Amino acid sequence: MKLLTANRLNDGRVIYLGEADAAVETIEAARILDAGAAEAALVLAQSRPAVFVNPYLIEVEGRAPSGRDRLKESIRSIGPTVGHSLGFVARNEIA
Amino acid sequence: MYRYDEFDAALVHERIAEFSDQVDRRSSGALTEDEFKPLRLMNGVYLQLHAYMLRVAVPYGVMNSRQMRRLAHIARTYDKGYGHFTTRTNIQYNWPALQDLPAILGDLAEVEMHAIQTSGNCIRNVTTDVFAGVAADEIEDPRPWCEIIRQWSTIHPEFSFLPRKFKIAVIGAAKDRAAIRTHDVGLQIVRGEDGQTAFRVFVGGGQGRLPHIAQEIASGVPGPSLLAYLTAILRAYNLLGRRDNIHKARIKILVAAIGIDAFRDEVERQFAILRLEDLRIPDEELVRIQAYFTPPPFEVQPIVSSAYDAARRLSPEFARFTRSNLRPHKQPGYSAVIVSLKPVNSVPGDVTADQMEVVADLAARFSFDEVRASYEQNLVLPHVRLEDVHAVWSRLRDVGLATANADLATDIIACPGLDYCSLANARSIPVAQALSRQLADVDLQERLGPLRINISGCINACGHHHVGHIGVLGVDRKGEEYYQITIGGSPDEQAALGEIVGRSLPADEVAPAIARALDRYLEVRMDGELFIDTVRRLGADPFRTAIYEPIDAAA
Repeated sequence: MKLLTANRLNDGRVIYLGEADAAVETIEAARILDAGAAEAALVLAQSRPAVFVNPYLIEVEGRAPSGRDRLKESIRSIGPTVGHSLGFVARNEIA
Repeated sequence: MYRYDEFDAALVHERIAEFSDQVDRRSSGALTEDEFKPLRLMNGVYLQLHAYMLRVAVPYGVMNSRQMRRLAHIARTYDKGYGHFTTRTNIQYNWPALQDLPAILGDLAEVEMHAIQTSGNCIRNVTTDVFAGVAADEIEDPRPWCEIIRQWSTIHPEFSFLPRKFKIAVIGAAKDRAAIRTHDVGLQIVRGEDGQTAFRVFVGGGQGRLPHIAQEIASGVPGPSLLAYLTAILRAYNLLGRRDNIHKARIKILVAAIGIDAFRDEVERQFAILRLEDLRIPDEELVRIQAYFTPPPFEVQPIVSSAYDAARRLSPEFARFTRSNLRPHKQPGYSAVIVSLKPVNSVPGDVTADQMEVVADLAARFSFDEVRASYEQNLVLPHVRLEDVHAVWSRLRDVGLATANADLATDIIACPGLDYCSLANARSIPVAQALSRQLADVDLQERLGPLRINISGCINACGHHHVGHIGVLGVDRKGEEYYQITIGGSPDEQAALGEIVGRSLPADEVAPAIARALDRYLEVRMDGELFIDTVRRLGADPFRTAIYEPIDAAA
């Protein structure tokens, strides 16, 4: 199965295509797509360049990235695995 | 330091107005990402894994306290409270929003900074010896020449669309503390036959996928002809460099392909047809620029400081810091202090807004309002009185910036890697952290002596792994992170590329493997022999064996 992901135009943050074609920030909220729906989703995202920058499809098992780019996509979904951003997230964003 | 004149200020403000309009048009959808990308890159804006990234130029690494405070303000206001110093002595912000970029550039302009030409296929930020104007061995301070090159290369109409990016570094001493032979053009100030300033010129260095050490193309270009000679090099490259293959577009590929002699002929042919009178640096202009870099008003100080000596006796921790993080100053009674951005388990080059403000305060109070960024991803307070070093150290220690490891094993150079970078194949930072934990013992680090470990998360080599005494390169093996180790690289006047010692290792085996190589060094070195000199004497084999023997035995 697949998910559609991109960066958001206004702040560059990682987004996914969610239910009702909404752009969502977490991979947990992403809509799981079969092969047919994936191609349609890609066309849809490409038609909304004011939100989706460089949209593409990623392979998932459940909602966990799989396939060759699984590490990169995992890091995109959770943020940097180390460093000040991590601390910042813990302090300021999750609370 | 150099201060903007009305031309600099106007140029920067015009660019902000232009880019602000481009951002608005991108936000409104009038510009597509494909149309916007080359425009944002001209202003240092990338789109990375998690967000936009803004790379701000720190010209030849020199800042004053007001600029450093402004960098802190930007980190706090528009980002997540920190910035990351790079191997090009720039600072990167990892989280700015698109619409905030014009405001950030406006804030930077107020303190005479910008992000122009920090990306794209143009002449990038010129770098130099972080101890310029400090080191006793320099023939001449290279910073005025860096500033002249900066002015000449900024929005240069002929060289804004080169085949690929172009990096220049300048040094003023025979000792190379700026890795000039890894640059597209490296410049070393020498004395010409007439006793005047001249430049030894190296060309065709570079790292990345196909690394090359620069070759000497000229031994004594007279100072006033420097811009003409650089123009001839750039023109030859611009005309002959490949544009059909991004991996073969750097000048290093051109020089290697046709040979240094043929390339020199081409440069000399270009030089002969230049309008030299347009490019000759007028004497009065050189004097005007040099005046910005006159030494600060040093006090006459004794060579020794009893207060400093007493503090060293009283505090072994301070004494250790002075052994590792101080560098000699040409002015008696002064020293340059290296502010380590490499605490154990930290992110190399990262610095928080609070830390930046402390460094700014220390620069204002103790270092004639000057702070430098080094390509090793540290900061330097260049002009500290010996009797003030203890006060500086105490304040740095309060905020975690007094790690006594400059040029030692845990002073690791590392790119952001796959934690941030969309080009990376593997993470760099966790490997650097594991290594710094493995080698954290300060006595061990002192025993090992000067040693450079460099880590890159992909073959683009932003972490300069090719020229690390020990280099680590992250590679992707079917979706898993593996790391290739090189031994024997060197970035200095004996520049060399490291030798790959064997198959790549999984992440958790890298730090123990390097620790074994360093144990082997302690066993085989001769008295007083540095790690790199031991490698030069014995080759990579003893270290290869140390790295792989236990792994092979367990397999």
